[in-house]
Amino acid sequence: MSHNEYIYAVGRIRSMETRLLDTGKIDRMAEAPDAAEALKVLGETEYAAHLADVGSANDYEQILTAERRRVYQELREMLPKPDLINLFALQFDYHNLKVLLKAHHLKEKRDELLEAELGTIPPEELVVAVTAGDFSQLPPRMAEAAEKVMAQFDPQLVDLWLDQALYEDLAAEAKRFHSPFIENYFAYLRDLTNIKTFLRVKRLQRSPQFLATALLPPGELDLVELLSLEAPLEELVERLSETRYAEVVSEGVLNYQQTETLTRYEKLADDFMLNFIKEAKHYIMGPEPVAAYLLAKENELKMIRIIMVGKINQLPVGAIRERLRDVYV
Amino acid sequence: MLGMGTGILLAIFGAALAVLLAGIGSAISVGRVGQAAAGVVSEDPDKFGSVLILQALPGTQGIYGLLVGFLILQRTGLIGGAPAALSLEQGLAFFFAGLPIAIGGMVSAFAQGKTAISGVHLVAKRPEESGKAIIFAVMVETYAVLALLMSILMLFGIQV
Repeated sequence: MSHNEYIYAVGRIRSMETRLLDTGKIDRMAEAPDAAEALKVLGETEYAAHLADVGSANDYEQILTAERRRVYQELREMLPKPDLINLFALQFDYHNLKVLLKAHHLKEKRDELLEAELGTIPPEELVVAVTAGDFSQLPPRMAEAAEKVMAQFDPQLVDLWLDQALYEDLAAEAKRFHSPFIENYFAYLRDLTNIKTFLRVKRLQRSPQFLATALLPPGELDLVELLSLEAPLEELVERLSETRYAEVVSEGVLNYQQTETLTRYEKLADDFMLNFIKEAKHYIMGPEPVAAYLLAKENELKMIRIIMVGKINQLPVGAIRERLRDVYV
Repeated sequence: MLGMGTGILLAIFGAALAVLLAGIGSAISVGRVGQAAAGVVSEDPDKFGSVLILQALPGTQGIYGLLVGFLILQRTGLIGGAPAALSLEQGLAFFFAGLPIAIGGMVSAFAQGKTAISGVHLVAKRPEESGKAIIFAVMVETYAVLALLMSILMLFGIQV
């Protein structure tokens, strides 16, 4: 699609961006005395329409689901072709497939976990495919991964295999937009995920062969080549000190060594990606601002979730703040 | 009109280019800014006024091109119905006189279109700064005006 075809959408996006939650609103939510008060802040935002349908603050997930559906639908409608939104919606198809494959194996029905109205394949079609064990109607990578899972079900590997297929699909599909921004986004995301996988595999003291099967296709970093699992964590930080991920890794890994959790690393990685997508603010046309808006919205949904989980579990404000991500606007 | 000399044909070619190229630049740019403006107005109809001015700005080059084309036709007598018997050199001179606004107009229209789209986005974010958005786009106008000025000076310098 020519970049000209995004001009209208980018104009709308620039208006829509003004309605994203800013730091002020996020802070007020984080500082609210309880979950219900935190949710009230959303009443002044574009989430207001969904608030009426929710009885208690514990049902905040309904609001997030409704808002996500609204955003995907709105973006699909404003573009002449839905392919850009479908790229980002691919994760929901894979999510649904994971749910169905696991449920099928356990002979249970877990349809409440399915994401409806978001993905590119209706969940009903996936249900039919999984029940019949016939994946020929699915896209090739998805079908291949699903067949692999059906042939040899391993609860640990279901997510790994399907994520690998998802990220391979994303890398291949992203090329169609001829946008280094979109390709780099997924490449950096794979690298940051791979670093996390590396830390986990190292902690579990699994074999290098397992590491090789657990990693996503490399973005800019080939971790297997770069580092052995036996090497101390300091070496990982050292090796990555010249890469774009230096800051994320040095602070994130240091914190991981002290706390044994990846919470800080995940926050830093999210902030790194958010900082990267801010580049899209300088584009006057093209798919980049639309993609960035969608990702900014996902980031916002994640922040509301962090705050609401924190409020419902009565975490102190400081602990919630520590987990909060940067904002796009 | 049969039996026209090469000179007058070159002058007509110059007039055609001035209107065509500057007009293409303006048409495409006004179209693009209009798309961005429609995007903003669909979210916030109150911004129609400021984005409309931004949309109109890259349209001036097309008008300048028309003016130069018109002047060439007038100077060479084509409008009066009595075309002057131009020499090859005179015809070429009229052709060259059309070029500054043809090319300068087209390129500045594209540049102004992009600035105006950025301006439309600025208005979407900060409606109170619409004056600044317009000024940024108007800055590009300078170069369209300079091209027009040069085309006119050349036109009136040619002896017929």
